[in-house]
Order: sequence, then structure tokens, then C-alpha cells
Amino acid sequence: MSLEPQELSELKSKIGRDPTSTELHIIAAEWSEHCSYKSSKKHLKMLPMKGPLVINEKGYDSGVLDVGDGYVVTAHIESHNHPSAVEPYGGAATGVGGVIRDILSAGTRPIAIFDGLRFGNIEKDQQARWLFKNAVTGIADYGNCLGIPTIGGEVEFDDCYQNYALVDVAAVGFGRKENLIKNHAQKDDLVVLLGGSTGRDGIGGSQFASDSLESEDRSAVQIPDPFIEKLIIEAILEARNHKLIHAMKDLGGGGLSCAVSETAEALEIGIEMDVDKVHTRESNMHPDEIMVSESQERMLIVTNKTKLKKLQEICKKFRIGCSVIGHVKSDNQMHVKKGKKTFANLPTDVVANATLLDLPSKKPAYLETIQKEKKLKPISNYSKTMMTLLASPNIASKIWVYGQYDHEVGIRTVLKPGADASVLRLDNGKFLSAKIDGNPKQCYVNPREGAIGCFEEACRNVVCTGAKPIGMLDHLQFGNPKDPEIFWTFLESLKGLTDFAKYFEIPCVGGKVSLHNETPAGSIKPTPVIGVLGLIDKKPLVPQKIIESDCLVILGDTKDEMGGSEYFEYIHKFIGGRCPSVDFAESKKNMKTVLDSIENLLLKSVHDCSKGGLAVAVSELCMTNQIGCNISLDKIPCEKLDVDRILFSETHSRYLMTLDKKNLKKLETLLKKNKVSFQLVGHFGGDKIQFNDGKKTIIDLRVDKAQKTWLNSLRDLVLHG
Amino acid sequence: MPIFNVHVTIENKSGISDPEGDTILNDLVLKGTQKTVSKIKTAKMLKFTIKEKDKKSAQSKVQLICDDLRIYNPMVSKVTIDVFDE
Repeated sequence: MSLEPQELSELKSKIGRDPTSTELHIIAAEWSEHCSYKSSKKHLKMLPMKGPLVINEKGYDSGVLDVGDGYVVTAHIESHNHPSAVEPYGGAATGVGGVIRDILSAGTRPIAIFDGLRFGNIEKDQQARWLFKNAVTGIADYGNCLGIPTIGGEVEFDDCYQNYALVDVAAVGFGRKENLIKNHAQKDDLVVLLGGSTGRDGIGGSQFASDSLESEDRSAVQIPDPFIEKLIIEAILEARNHKLIHAMKDLGGGGLSCAVSETAEALEIGIEMDVDKVHTRESNMHPDEIMVSESQERMLIVTNKTKLKKLQEICKKFRIGCSVIGHVKSDNQMHVKKGKKTFANLPTDVVANATLLDLPSKKPAYLETIQKEKKLKPISNYSKTMMTLLASPNIASKIWVYGQYDHEVGIRTVLKPGADASVLRLDNGKFLSAKIDGNPKQCYVNPREGAIGCFEEACRNVVCTGAKPIGMLDHLQFGNPKDPEIFWTFLESLKGLTDFAKYFEIPCVGGKVSLHNETPAGSIKPTPVIGVLGLIDKKPLVPQKIIESDCLVILGDTKDEMGGSEYFEYIHKFIGGRCPSVDFAESKKNMKTVLDSIENLLLKSVHDCSKGGLAVAVSELCMTNQIGCNISLDKIPCEKLDVDRILFSETHSRYLMTLDKKNLKKLETLLKKNKVSFQLVGHFGGDKIQFNDGKKTIIDLRVDKAQKTWLNSLRDLVLHG
Repeated sequence: MPIFNVHVTIENKSGISDPEGDTILNDLVLKGTQKTVSKIKTAKMLKFTIKEKDKKSAQSKVQLICDDLRIYNPMVSKVTIDVFDE
């Protein structure tokens, strides 16, 4: 158990006696970092969480946004890092299951899944390949069985995740505003456990997630069962339609301990429960085990005696377990019994509220020198370098990953994975655009600017589809918070995200903090992952096929910002340099300009510049459209920069706009009116990707050859090593 | 050297749920007339044919192969290795 000596004495002083064994297990689960957010909670309050579209209700596990016409969208992000590092298939799959139930707990139907995956160096490390392959299969199997499309995500590889995995899953739900569960309960209401049976799998999972992964922990393995999850979704939504649910909570980390105590605390009630009433998979389970088991696919529901019969009928119809495990009291106590014998009786505010910590922070020493660039070996053949980049795991197409996911089931998907952001059709005629983004390489070089960059990149991606960002999800993944240097990076990232969210008035509607992401080799790089939801009132920009003589306009300046770039790290094996930073005013102006241009129907497509810089972004356009392009590097808006920097700098707030040449004048007029920095940098045509510096051709690639390498290299690496 | 058939059975460890086995039991077997069945566990079996000097070395060689290539996950799976003369 992870309860520390001072926490034990604090518990004793709060309850005025020695805790029982069951009480210790409950507290260890609920006071773990994973459940209590004890290191981060004080600081998370700085994020703006309110906005005109945000609906706040007590006890929600997901964020709720009003999208008009009586409809709401819900969203949440979770990770399953520790379980996925031990058993990637089950860990990743149950990660999907957990976040789906968070969406369900607000009374909305899950309609889309996103996953952000991070692993070690798959080119060198067989274990990383094994983790990657199995995590992807786990997500695909689970999401596909549920009939929920996995419509986007990202995959990244870095040495800092050696023998480890970051598996982040975000989900989006949709429903009628009137059907939202308004969590409430009154005395003598019944507490029902619905879904899969409780077993010994996953015991101690939340504490396991709060300890560094120094040794593999068998009991924290969780086994997925997507078919039960599907039945739970349908049963819950039917019960919701019959107004049978007073309050609802998903059983995630900490199992029954957390679900019962957090429900009681949020609703200001007491709950008395009997572990003998819990439907278990194995006989002879001890009350301690039942309370902290993290067996998957379970929901806690508060209903009343008159509604119980109908709820049981629904559960019977869907053949899922349904046990009345307790009832609501007014004493604000969490009372756990086995038959008549009491095993735990604790005030809910003690259980649900661990003492929040005020941890020290200190700027890491490495940051003092990291901006300094070393002299790099000159590139003799840029075409060759470009092919190496296109084949590199972080830049190569991720089609091997998302090709395994059903991304169309549910027939809402308008823009599929592979584009900048995915877009879903909503029932009110509007469209929802969503994307998740992270960039640990830049966050390591500059935790504040790196985090802001992730946020801006996710915004850029939804803006490219014509959507206005309306909400964000943050997932903050760091190492051990007790290391002041690591905690400093956490705080800096959080402050950066807060500043950006406030400036752009994008509320944080949900999030997760995952700390203690460490392996014997050390801490992971700071890895905030940001999800952004955007709303399109009219029509999304569905990229049209680029043809001969179409124009390419770049919006935004390219700066000397190579820190954390793929070019530095993959080609030159150099970690350092100046991290790209976002100029908020310029970023806002550019986003508005892109949206104006889309609204005026001037563009065929918009693509953002991110990993790999301009050279990769232009190549992606050429490869997906199977057409060549001729780019003049001397036209790229920038201060005097060398060729390397123009090609590969990962400066933010840049967009590649493609258009029919007949719209060029209108576009230029609009861009001038909006006072943004832009240039016509090239035309499409032929079968070669060419970057020219004056009269000299710097990069000269055949589109078909580049495309073959880009599309197949990740698959070949995974399947053939 | 003699030839042996080596059967490697990979199944979930006891205490870890087996949704596939449960589904076969509840939705197939018990829906029929076979009411005496109380449990079904699913497993994967690999059948190796191997030339080794004796049964013991055939078993340890196959175990080594399965461990090295991560043919099963030791965290989740129990592995039983049976060796038979060809």
C-alpha cells in the first residue's frame, strides 16, 4: 500500500482511532495520487473552467458543453500508462473502457474515441515494438467491438519512454441536454452496482499507478471485456430514458472505495453498503479486496425502491449483473459491512479529501544550458535527409495504426483520421471537430512554451477544418512530483496552458494528471497532451483534391526555433536549442484569418506546419494528393535564416493554404485586410517535390517514391523490425 | 537425435477473468442441453516439433523460445509445456 507514515497518523487523528484493515485499503486507494490529485489539485484551480457553453453539475466525470438546439457534447481524457506498460493489450483496451464510462456517467452516448500513444525507440528496442503493437491492437479490438469509432490521435516515440508506455484515451459523447443526469440522492435511495463481476484483477491499480514502475505488479493487470461494456452502455442509456438514474459514477481507479466515497461526498450523503451483496467472480474474496478491486466494466448507480424493478428488468434484458449493494443515509459516513459486521465506517469527507500537498519546485539545472546549440554537421544531400525524415517513426504516416481502427462506425465521421483534425456530424446540423496533440521533445526543452505549443497545435488542427475552438482537455503526464525539478516543469506547463486558455477564452472542460511516470532509467520528459474541441456551425472544410497549377500560400512567419525539432533530434541526435514559442496575438490573428478564408470558400485545404516543419508539411500535401510542388524558399516569410531552419524549424501559428489560382487575388485581399504575414510560395504540378533556394534545387524527390516510404515505413518497422 | 512434439498451452492465470471462456459457457453451451458444464477456459496452443537429445532439453528449449520471443505475457498468462514422443 502507498499510504505514507504521516498520512497514517493524520488518518488516525482525523478518525480518533486506529483504522481497520479495510479502512486502510480504502484510504490508500483514495488518497493515492491517482485518485486524490494531492500534489496537483491546488494548482489545477488556476485553469479557467467556466465559459458560456460549459455546463457544470456536481459529480460529473466528464466535461459538458452546450452545442445548441438542446444538444450537449461531453468529453474526457484518461490515461492507462502503468497497466499498459505491464500488459499493453489489456491495459490499453481497459483505458478505452474507462473513459467511455466517464462519458456515459453524464448520461450521454459515447460517439468517438481518440488515442495518444507514446513508446520508446521502436527502431532499436524490441520491447517498445511489442508494447506499441499490442497497445494498438488492444485499442482497436475494444473500440471496434463497442461500435464506437476511433477517429484520431497521435503516436510518438522517444528514448525517454524506454520500457514504458503512455496510453492516453480521450472520448467524446453526445446527447440531449434534457437527458443529462443531474446527480442527486436522498435518504433511503438504493445504491446499485451494475455490470461485470468483481474479481481479483486490478487490485491496487490506483496505488500501482501512483508508484514508479520499478517492478512489474501482477495484481494490477486488468482484463478487458468490450461486450459487457457495450451491454452496459445500452442498459444505462435505456435506464436513463426511463429516468431511473438519480446519480451515477464509473468504477475506475480505486474501484468501489473511490466510487462510493466520491459519490457520497459530492452529493453530501452517507452510504451504507454490504460487500456480501457485490456480485463477485471468485469466492472467498476478502472485503479489502472487494473494496479496492479495479475489475473493469462496472457502474455505480443511485436509484430508489420504486425504480429498482424496472432497472433490474433492463439489466436482465441485457444480461448484465445488477446488485443492490447498499442504501443512502444522511450521516455522511461511508459504512462498509459484511453481513452484520462492520469493516469500515469513515466520514466521506475524510475518505474523499486527502490532504493536499504544497510541494517545492525548483528550475531544473539542465534548462540553463539547453538552449545553446552545438555546431551541427552540414547536410550534403537534403533530398536524402528528407527521405530519412519521411521514414522516421515520428513523421511517417500512422496509417498502420488508424487503419486498424473502425473510424466510420456510427456514420457520424465526416473527416477521417489522417487529416489535421477529425470531424463528426451532430444531430443539430452542426459539426464537431476534435484533435489531441503533445510534444514532449519541445516540452523538455521549454516546459512552458512546449505546453503552449501543444495547445496551439491542437487549436490549429481544428481551425484547419473550419472549427472554432470551444473547449480543451488537458492531460498532464510527468515524473515523480516530489522531485522539485520535475514539479517545476509541471507548474510551468500548467501556467502556460492557463495563460493560453485565458487569452483565447477556451475553457478547460476536463483533464487528468498522471504523475510518477518513471522507470528505472529515470523520469519521462514532461508530456502534456492537449485535446481541443471545435464547433462548426455551417460546413467543415473537407480537403479537395489538389490539381495542376493550384497555389500554395503560407500564412505565418518562420522563426529560428529548432529546439525539440525532429530535424535536430532524429537527424543530428541533438537535444536542445530554442523551443518554438507562440505569439498569442499573432496566433489569434492567424486562426481568425484561416476561419475567414474557409468561410469565404477561398480554399481547397489548409494544413498546419508542425513536426518536421515546412518541408514535411508540404511533402504531406504532395503525397496525400499525389502531385508535385515547386517551392521557393526565398519567398518564405522569415528573418534571415539558413536553409535548414526554413525547411525544418517547427515554429507555431503557420498554415499552408492551398487554393485554385482563380481565388488567389481574393485571398490576398483578405490576408492583407487581416494584416497577417503571408506569401505565395509555390505551385502544384508535375511529379516532384522540389524546394529551391534561388536557382538552386535543394530538395528534389519523386512524389511516388516519397509516398511509398512515408506510408509503409512504420508498418515495416513494426512487423519486420 | 530424436524428434519430440511439444505442446505449449497459454491461458490466463487463475483469478484473471476470461471473457471468451465465459461467453462460450453462458451463450453457447448452457443455452443448449449441456447443463452439467460449470466452467470453460479458453487457451491458445502452439505445437512445436523439435529435434533434441531428450524430453527435458526439448521442454527447456521451447520454454526459452517462448520467453525470448514474448510469445506469451508472463504477467497475465500461465504456460504449460507438455512433451510427447513423435
